[in-house]
Amino acid sequence: LIIRDHPAAVGEYIGDYIAKRIIDFAPTPEKPFVLGLPTGSSPIPTYKHLVSLVKAGKLSFKNVVTFNMDEYVGLPRDHSESYHTFMFREFFSHIDIDPKNVNILDGNAHDLIGECKAYEEKIKSYGGIELFLGGIGEDGHIAFNEPGSSLVSRTRIKTLAYDTILANARFFNNDIDAVPRMALTVGVGTVLDSREVVVVVTGQRKSLALSKAIEEGINHLWTLSALQNHPWALIVADEDATLELHVKTVKYFKSIEQVQNEVEARHAALRAKGLPQGDEAVGSME
Amino acid sequence: MSSSNGLVCFTNCLIPLEDGSLVKRDLWIDERRGVVLDAQKTFFLNKERPAKVLDMGGNIVSPGFLDSQINGAYGFDFSVYDGDDEAYRKGLKLISTKIVETGVTALIPTIITQEKSLYPKLLNLLRPYSCLTGATLLGWHAEGPFIQMAKRGAHAPSFLRSAPSGFKSLDETYGASNLVHSEDWLMNDSALGVRIITAAPEVDGVLDSVKELTDRGIVFSIGHSIATTDIATNAVRKGARLITHLFNAMPQLHHRDPSIIGLLGASPHLASAFHPIASSDAPHTITFVRPFYELIVDGIHLHPNSVRLAYNVHPEGCILITDAMKILDPHLKDGIHEWRDGKRFVKEGEKLYLEGTDTLAGRHVNSLLAAQLPTSPVVTLDKCVRNFSRFTGCSLGEAIKCATFNPAKCLGIENRKGTLRPGADADLVVLDRTGHVVSTWVAGKQVWARG
Repeated sequence: LIIRDHPAAVGEYIGDYIAKRIIDFAPTPEKPFVLGLPTGSSPIPTYKHLVSLVKAGKLSFKNVVTFNMDEYVGLPRDHSESYHTFMFREFFSHIDIDPKNVNILDGNAHDLIGECKAYEEKIKSYGGIELFLGGIGEDGHIAFNEPGSSLVSRTRIKTLAYDTILANARFFNNDIDAVPRMALTVGVGTVLDSREVVVVVTGQRKSLALSKAIEEGINHLWTLSALQNHPWALIVADEDATLELHVKTVKYFKSIEQVQNEVEARHAALRAKGLPQGDEAVGSME
Repeated sequence: MSSSNGLVCFTNCLIPLEDGSLVKRDLWIDERRGVVLDAQKTFFLNKERPAKVLDMGGNIVSPGFLDSQINGAYGFDFSVYDGDDEAYRKGLKLISTKIVETGVTALIPTIITQEKSLYPKLLNLLRPYSCLTGATLLGWHAEGPFIQMAKRGAHAPSFLRSAPSGFKSLDETYGASNLVHSEDWLMNDSALGVRIITAAPEVDGVLDSVKELTDRGIVFSIGHSIATTDIATNAVRKGARLITHLFNAMPQLHHRDPSIIGLLGASPHLASAFHPIASSDAPHTITFVRPFYELIVDGIHLHPNSVRLAYNVHPEGCILITDAMKILDPHLKDGIHEWRDGKRFVKEGEKLYLEGTDTLAGRHVNSLLAAQLPTSPVVTLDKCVRNFSRFTGCSLGEAIKCATFNPAKCLGIENRKGTLRPGADADLVVLDRTGHVVSTWVAGKQVWARG
């Protein structure tokens, strides 16, 4: 768990982190960097920072393939609230990604189940997802895997929880009836299959969910908790999101980051001297 | 210089929207087809993105300006024809290619009252014309001859006419082939064309022609008239949807008979054409839609206060025009120039004097003199837009709307011109934050740039 003061700082941290991962990976057309992406208000500062990196010429999405987490069922693709619209407006229009490398579930497909299966196949065809960026819902869900979802679920159709519909009403003119009732979403299992998971958690409203997901056990009522079983997971939160955590937890993770920084500094010094440094452990926070 | 896949993205720019707001947004165009793209559709359906990205440095990328009333420019006068078709067409091309420096990408050549026999030929020469390196000539605006003697301004009195046979008189005068229905006049489906007739509805036979003209797709504009409120209202009910240079060549605003200017204050629920004041025993009410109106915002024809008054009463109907004369030329040198009827004018920087006086055009000028004053040769449509923003206090985006979307909407061409909606023609003007023209684009290609 990495903690920063406010959402903009969180966005910068994650943006820089993802940029470093892509650059270090050195993607090619044959071996692109496969990135999983979320929607919602939490990742927007991250997207903004990534866009600024691209515009400054420091990062390119030329050989990056993306898979979004979810999309509403039955909402026209060019509806102002569809996730296609969101991703284009907040991210894809501003970066140099090839539209052919962009994958978003089609909520208007005739065969919704077939669409979900095909999505899983496509991810497999690229050799899996390298890094999945996600957010968290107030009810602890990751993607649209609402409380009660199977922790080994795959991409499928989900009925939205009433809480989620209420939370999303603000994007539909506060008209609850206008909010779609179903969505296609990647499963918890799909996210956990990726080599690395990065989760952005900002704001006081997410603080209870965060505390349940990392301080208590793995529980299908707080599906983000499944991350505890992932070998390489990173959560980046702002101070407000830590409000429900025990002070002990917050201090512990802050001290880990301090230690990690010291270790990396030492490794950098060793590298400068040309001496071997042992196993690289990039980014993991166990 | 061109894009490898024909798609161009304008980024780091402000886009004026159809509601007058200015937003920071990218604009994607197809420079081969010359149209504005729906960026999101292009990205997800066609799976393409622009190969060429232009950084606009924070400038405004606006639809090109549309001038609905312009009598000539750069020395060429639309109303003057001496039998040489070739020379006339050369003049049209001259204006088309030069006027883009003022940010205008579409205009409606206007002819003032003519000797009757010239109309059929002239109007035929003014069929829609577009060339890829210049502004589109959208058709014609016939100002007169069915106008009011008392408000003729600079129109020749002997050529004024009335229409005793109603629409037939108009047919005879303008030429029947020029007044056919739009479907037949335009000949091929993708052609864009516009016809405007300015006339006085109180002149014999004119009011009866309004409906027929409107049904055929011709825009009827009330102007050079002394119509009473009743007649003006009736004209609008019959289809008139534009007022020619509001305030000029019409009665002043009288509080009990507000006449043409008063149309801007008409109630949306009128009792009847002849009792516009709603009363409880009114037989039935109709919804009344106020017409558009042109304003010449050169700082000479209208006091800034008048501009602001009109705009605030009916902002959605405001259309900016130049009503420019053939002397329009931003590069015109200082000194003495020919005007008309033997008179000459003196240009000193932005100032204009009638030769032989030291009366500054527009100040302390009585109405008779004002009727004879030329529109300034240096007041181009982009300058009118800047003046308008200053006079009314509106934003640059709202001022731009009056020179782009509003005229296009009045003329029924807002799906192609005056807007940046997907599918519209990619006729653009790039303005800096102070509203000065930086570059002009026609059909997706740059045709003029400053410096």
